Amino acid sequence: MKPVHTLALGLALSAALLGGPARAAGASDTDAERAARWQEIAKSIFGDRKIEPTDTLVKIDAPARALDAALVPITLTMPEKDKIKAIHFVIDDNPSPYAAHISFGPAADPAELKLRVRVNNYTNVHAVAETRDGGLYEATQFVKASGGCSAPMGMSDEEAMKGMGDMRMKFAEGQPGKPVEATLMIRHPNFSGMQMNQVTRDYTPARYINKLTVTRGDQTVFTLDGDISISSNPVIGFGLNPEGKGPIKVAASDNQGGRWEHSFTVPSPSN
Amino acid sequence: MRSLTRTGAVAAIALVVLSAAMPADSPVNVPEPDGIWTGPQRGYTPETLKGASVIDAGRLDALMPAGPLLLDVAMEDRKPAGFPDDRPWLPAHRSIPGAVWMPLAGAAPIDPEREALFYARVEALTGGDKAKPIVTFCHPECWGSWNAGKRLVLKGYTNVHWFPQGIEGWQDRHETAVIRPDPAWEAKSGGRAER
Repeated sequence: MKPVHTLALGLALSAALLGGPARAAGASDTDAERAARWQEIAKSIFGDRKIEPTDTLVKIDAPARALDAALVPITLTMPEKDKIKAIHFVIDDNPSPYAAHISFGPAADPAELKLRVRVNNYTNVHAVAETRDGGLYEATQFVKASGGCSAPMGMSDEEAMKGMGDMRMKFAEGQPGKPVEATLMIRHPNFSGMQMNQVTRDYTPARYINKLTVTRGDQTVFTLDGDISISSNPVIGFGLNPEGKGPIKVAASDNQGGRWEHSFTVPSPSN
Repeated sequence: MRSLTRTGAVAAIALVVLSAAMPADSPVNVPEPDGIWTGPQRGYTPETLKGASVIDAGRLDALMPAGPLLLDVAMEDRKPAGFPDDRPWLPAHRSIPGAVWMPLAGAAPIDPEREALFYARVEALTGGDKAKPIVTFCHPECWGSWNAGKRLVLKGYTNVHWFPQGIEGWQDRHETAVIRPDPAWEAKSGGRAER
C-alpha cells in the first residue's frame, strides 16, 4: 500500500511544483532523470563551476511545440546586457547537447540573440549566461520537437551544398544612438552526420560550421562555436553597439576545412 | 479511363506536395509488401499489417494493463565521423518506460544470426507464450517496427500489435524514460545497419 501512496504524493507534488497541465504528465522520477542529465552535461562543459538559476539575466523564448524539429527558432534575451560576457546554449537530449557558445565583444549589443536549432527529442533546453565577473546563470525551457538531427534536407547533397559559404546580412531600420539589429544568413547545409541519403542509404558526412567570427572595424562583435545542432542554412540575429564604426566582417569556417569571409556595410541611421 | 488518368494525376501532385510536407500519418496508400520490406527504411508505411493489429496511442493505453512486451527497434544515434573529442557526445535514447530496446531488429536485409537472436530474445521475453501481447514500435515513417512485427507474425506469434506512431506518439501523451539497449542484443551487436 505504501509505495502507491508515495508515488501518488510524488506525482501530486511534482505537478504542483511544476505548475500545471503542461508538465502534469511528468512523473517525479522523470524530472529527476532530466535534472541528472543536465548535471552531467553541465559538468562536462563547465567542470565544477557553480551555475545559479536566473529569471533576469537570460530568458529563453522557444516554441513549446515546434513546427519543424530541424528548424526551431530560439530567441535569447539578456535585459542586463552590460553584465553579459557570453552565452552557452544547450539542448539537453540532443546526442551532441552543446549547441552553441557565443562570446560577445565590445562591438556587440548583447541584449538579444536569435538562432535556429535542431531538436532531436522532447527536451529541456538551457541557456547559461556567463557574466563579466565570471558567474554562470541558467535559464531553462521544455521544447516539444523530435527527429531534428536526422531529418533529411529534402534535396540532394550536391544541391544542398550549392553556393556554400554565401552570406547575406539584413539590418533593421535604426535610430541614431540606438543599437542596430542585424541578421546574418549563411548558406551552408550544416550536415549533422546523422542524416541518411534515402537513395544510397549512406550517411551524409557531417559538415557543419564550427566557428564564426564577426568583427566591426578592429572590434569583435561576437564569436560563435557551434556544431551539428545548428540548423542548415544558419540564421543568426544579433545587436550592434551604436558606438561601433566601420564595416562588418564575417569569417566562417567548417569542420571540413571550408573557410569563407564576407564584408557588409552598416547603413547609417536615418534621422 | 478519363477519371483514372485524372486520379493518377491528382495522386502524383499530392505525392509531390506531401513528400515536401512529410506528414506523420501517410495519406498515400502504401500497399503491404509480400514479406519483409527491404526498401528504404524511412518513408510512408502501410496502414495495415496482416496477422497483426495496428494500434494508435489510445489503443496502446488500453493495452498497457495487460502488460504487453514493448519492443523498441529504433536505431541508436549515430556519432558523426570525426566528431571532435572536446565536445560532449552524450546520446540518450528516450522510449516508452519498460520497453526492451533492440536497435535495428527490424532492419532488412538482416544478418541471419541477428534474426535468430531476435527470435530467441522474444521467446525468452515472452516465456515461450506465442499468445502474449507484443507491441513493436520505433518512429513514425519507420519501416523497422513494421518489419519487426511482420517477423513475429511469420514466426507464429498471434497477439502482435504494431504501433506506427512510435516514440513520438507515446511522448505526446506520456513521459518517456531513458533506456539502454537490451544487454543480450547489444553484446552480440554486429556491424551498423540502417534504420
